[in-house]
Amino acid sequence: MKKHLQYYISSALNSYAVLFFSKNEILGVLLFIVSMFNFNAGLTGLISVLASLILVSALGFNKEDIKTGLYTFNSLLLGIGFGTFFSFNSTFWLWLSAACLLCVVLSVNLLSFLGKYGLPTLSIPFIITFWLVLIAASGYQGMGLVQKSSSLLFELNTGAPSHFTKLCHFFDNLNVPAYVLLFFRSVSAVLFQNSVLAGILISIGVFIHSRIGFSLLLIGFVTACFVNHLTGTYPDGISNYYLGANFMMVSCAIGGFFLIPSWRSYAWAIVVMPFTFLVLNALSRLLGFYNLPVFSMPFCLITIGLLYFFMLRKNPQKLQLTTFQNYSPETNFYQFLSGKARLKDFQYFNLSLPFMGAWTVSQGYQGEITHKSDWQHALDFVLEDMDGKSYNLPGIKPEDYYCFNKPVLAAGDGIVQEVINHIDDNVIGQVNLEQNWGNTIVVKHTEHLYSKVSHLKKNSIKVKAGDLVKQGDIIGLCGNSGRSPEPHLHFQVQSTPYIGSKTLSYPFAYYASENNQVLKSFEIPKKGETIQKPEINPYLKNAFHFEPGYINLVTDDRGNKETWEVFADNLGSTYFYCRENQAVAYFVNNANVFYFTRFYGDRKSILFLFYQAAYKINFSAHQVKDYYARDAERFKPSLWLRDLFAPFFIFTQHTYSNDIKPKNDGLTINIETKKQVFGHDEVLLNAEIHLNDKGIESIDFLYKNKTLKVKWETGLV
Amino acid sequence: MKQKYERPTIRKMNTGLMNKFGTRTDFDPVEAIDGVPVKSLVEQYGSPVFVLSEKQIRRNYQAAVRSFKTRYPKVQFAWSYKTNYLNAVCRIFHQEGSWAEVVSGFEYHKALGNGVSGNQIIFNGPDKKEADLILAIENHSLIHIDHYDELYLLIDVCKRINKKAKVAIRVNFDTGVYPIWDRFGFNYENGQAWAAINKIVAAEHLELVGLHCHIGTFMLSTTAYSVAATKLCDLAMRCKTELQNPVQYLDLGGGFPSINTLKGAYLPGVDTVPSVEDFAEAITGTILNFGFAADELPLLILESGRVLIDDAGYLIGSVLANKRLSDGRRATILDFGINILFTSNWYDHKISVAKEAGQYTEETVLFGPLCMNIDVVRESITLPLLERGDQVVVHKVGAYNMTQWMQFINMRPAVVLIDMQGKSHQIRKPETLAYLEMMEEVPEYLIKKSSF
Repeated sequence: MKKHLQYYISSALNSYAVLFFSKNEILGVLLFIVSMFNFNAGLTGLISVLASLILVSALGFNKEDIKTGLYTFNSLLLGIGFGTFFSFNSTFWLWLSAACLLCVVLSVNLLSFLGKYGLPTLSIPFIITFWLVLIAASGYQGMGLVQKSSSLLFELNTGAPSHFTKLCHFFDNLNVPAYVLLFFRSVSAVLFQNSVLAGILISIGVFIHSRIGFSLLLIGFVTACFVNHLTGTYPDGISNYYLGANFMMVSCAIGGFFLIPSWRSYAWAIVVMPFTFLVLNALSRLLGFYNLPVFSMPFCLITIGLLYFFMLRKNPQKLQLTTFQNYSPETNFYQFLSGKARLKDFQYFNLSLPFMGAWTVSQGYQGEITHKSDWQHALDFVLEDMDGKSYNLPGIKPEDYYCFNKPVLAAGDGIVQEVINHIDDNVIGQVNLEQNWGNTIVVKHTEHLYSKVSHLKKNSIKVKAGDLVKQGDIIGLCGNSGRSPEPHLHFQVQSTPYIGSKTLSYPFAYYASENNQVLKSFEIPKKGETIQKPEINPYLKNAFHFEPGYINLVTDDRGNKETWEVFADNLGSTYFYCRENQAVAYFVNNANVFYFTRFYGDRKSILFLFYQAAYKINFSAHQVKDYYARDAERFKPSLWLRDLFAPFFIFTQHTYSNDIKPKNDGLTINIETKKQVFGHDEVLLNAEIHLNDKGIESIDFLYKNKTLKVKWETGLV
Repeated sequence: MKQKYERPTIRKMNTGLMNKFGTRTDFDPVEAIDGVPVKSLVEQYGSPVFVLSEKQIRRNYQAAVRSFKTRYPKVQFAWSYKTNYLNAVCRIFHQEGSWAEVVSGFEYHKALGNGVSGNQIIFNGPDKKEADLILAIENHSLIHIDHYDELYLLIDVCKRINKKAKVAIRVNFDTGVYPIWDRFGFNYENGQAWAAINKIVAAEHLELVGLHCHIGTFMLSTTAYSVAATKLCDLAMRCKTELQNPVQYLDLGGGFPSINTLKGAYLPGVDTVPSVEDFAEAITGTILNFGFAADELPLLILESGRVLIDDAGYLIGSVLANKRLSDGRRATILDFGINILFTSNWYDHKISVAKEAGQYTEETVLFGPLCMNIDVVRESITLPLLERGDQVVVHKVGAYNMTQWMQFINMRPAVVLIDMQGKSHQIRKPETLAYLEMMEEVPEYLIKKSSF
């Protein structure tokens, strides 16, 4: 029962908050309060939302989708609109429920229809429904819907002046510049109001929800006023209640919500203002013929149109669309930053070096010998000794060369696309220009991603077209066939399946430098570099190899106990779930590295400490330096300044570093996390994770001058 | 310039067909080692003197690592201490990433002293004292059990100190090479090895982490290693499937030959000995094809010694005298013999002169300086005409000589390391009488002057 109530409350609040692209409960509550300023409208709004929620829940739509409020916020607008425009009478409720049903149907259908194109519905369902109602009601008096007179439209309370109306009047006539009052009134127009007090409350809510969002509202407003001032389009300012809201919402949607906030997106938010004027005015005129208000139609059309326009770009470069919507410009932005810097595992197919041991790049990308024009993104590898030679004296037979006859591996999982295996190995110094690529294997990894190895030894290839290969499988031997004066391995990535296809610049996921000193991730090796696969430390790999179903119990020396279990969500992302406090920490765990991506929940939990301590671990025991993903979801006013400037300049960050010390029966990971503000460091947390051959043994934390010892036990609890 | 006096020599005239390979052996003088003149080495460190080339050690190590690591994903070398346990040498190998393979308590302590962490020391050999075992257990070293008595001792010790030991067993088997080295470890064919494995897995305080073999020394056949690898893999697979105790590593031991020529060999070692590449191909090919899952391939450990250091060592010595034997053969007496060149028992060492010599050569016997009949360095070698005081350079002496040499009649000489930059460092001082007498104790009654 409690769960049910929670679900309805949170869904309803989201229906309110989502009007400003938010899931913030504070904003939701404030919007609900403001909607009640016009009691009739607020009430019908609430009733509509609840009715719609019950309807979609009963009909069995996805609960997670319903919870976002996307199915029902149009009903909210409809309800408020109904309450604002029509007087209560006997037929009011009948037509409201009919319109509400229509609105829900439209919402669900449009959401799915536009969703296919990755586009939002915004308030289109509401606008269409309301237009239909208006057109119908004005033609058929018999329907019984009575429009309020326009003079009463914005009266909050038609009764006798009360304390509340006095308060509203007080704010309406505040002794501040008229533009400030206009701003707040325009904000309140989103809920069909025209009240400064309402605007102020909503603004506070929006600010708590998102600093970026609020600054964009302001930018939209200022730009619109400025354009209006220049052109004189509306002689009495953009005071008409719906005008300002359209501009501000466009600015908000384009500048920070559907695009990743940056100075570019802000520039677009400004640039589209005159454009919005054009559409708004034209629509107003057009709809004027039918006596229909434009509502937020200009905003919807412009936002959807621009979004689709941006989506069609082939190479988005710096102006990026939000790929995963977090309903917060800050979160979208910080996630984007952290994703770009940290989550390369998801950006690239994981390719590993196509050989064992340490090989030297003898010709890199844009090489001087043959890696030119269409084939410039290729790598040639040889084996070199301490003296830089690639052969044993006398070096006159292919067998004298170190790399000859050495195993060549599949760079990634895939299906063998093509194999050539019959070409003779050349005599040293001669090349075979007829069969340029020599013995070659092309492996298909994904659509439009193939890797190719060439100049292999005759008859050494152990796979045939159609075979499934796993990363690291031996597929052939290095040879000297084709255009190869001395034995070497040619490797390239290409987007088409043919031998001779043009090359594609593509990084190797993880590799180490010659002495295993430096770990490189998602880079392209350069000429002269000697590289090898990272040497995996068995202790680390064993300890951090968490798979769904793993359960452990941690106990700290203050007697707190937490039980963590590893799960995988629908998308296959793995996370720790704390049974005691429901905290969740998402992580990635592959052959080379373990790292956390996000944390949700109680920041006083041990899981949060572990999230901080094991933020990133290289299985190759290389040192880690990383930045924590920033977070904007908590109510933390001290970070508001950072958020406000974040799209342009970030002056604070939390750094993570670790260092691994071997022990005789395991190893210790020393962790330090720091807060950097304007380059000034402050240590936040020190931790030591102790490992043995069974896995993690214990963790010591030192933070805020307190120490905490945590014991780690595995096994079913 | 005044020409060097060359003493007259008489050579028997041979008639008949010319030898189609010619008569010339190798007379190119070796005037410098890694750029350091032999003359200056002798001046600085005396004669005889052992010289080691750091460059060649690293070159050998890296070549061996390259041969294995380009063929197999998980490879670890462990430096065989007994081959040459001068600390400077060991540290070069440890710097390159090698673990330590020791066969006695003092070698174990030496490894610790060289900064090797306990879990990277492999403790082999039939003679492990109880105290050494306890130290090895506490340091989490890898203890390779050689016989049942050691196994029982280990079980007993572990129980007593209540600690777990990481162990492997040494396995011996028929690899087609005779004689079979069956005096070390547990036999595979008669089931002894499997029985020992079962005992270990059942023992509460022992953790079976690996399997070890060492099929012989100076092995001239790669097939023997394939056979050995197959048999070890078979045991490893059975450990996993039958005992649910997968082993982490297979230790194939050492035994790879250097390019020295064995006594009695018809052709020189350079031409007949298989290369490390060939052994790597045989061993890794066998393990990779045995059927382990890709992520369950065991770590491959190698304990090569000789092949990594033999050709990095030189011995410089001087001619003491020339004489003629009763049967008319020439004989040359050198200031080194089997006392410090132990390996002259095994090989026909290549010996060069240290300076330009004339075209005339003669066959001679090389004797050492001992007053013992057995002190023969080469029974017959063709060399240019040598004079008292001339220097000679013996090649490929890096393995075993600096550990098996004896202090007998003469003291042991200095050992010099030439570093990567061509600078020489004395890494072991020549012995002195004081050193020799350091451990001696004379009973009191022998010291008192007798009163007449």
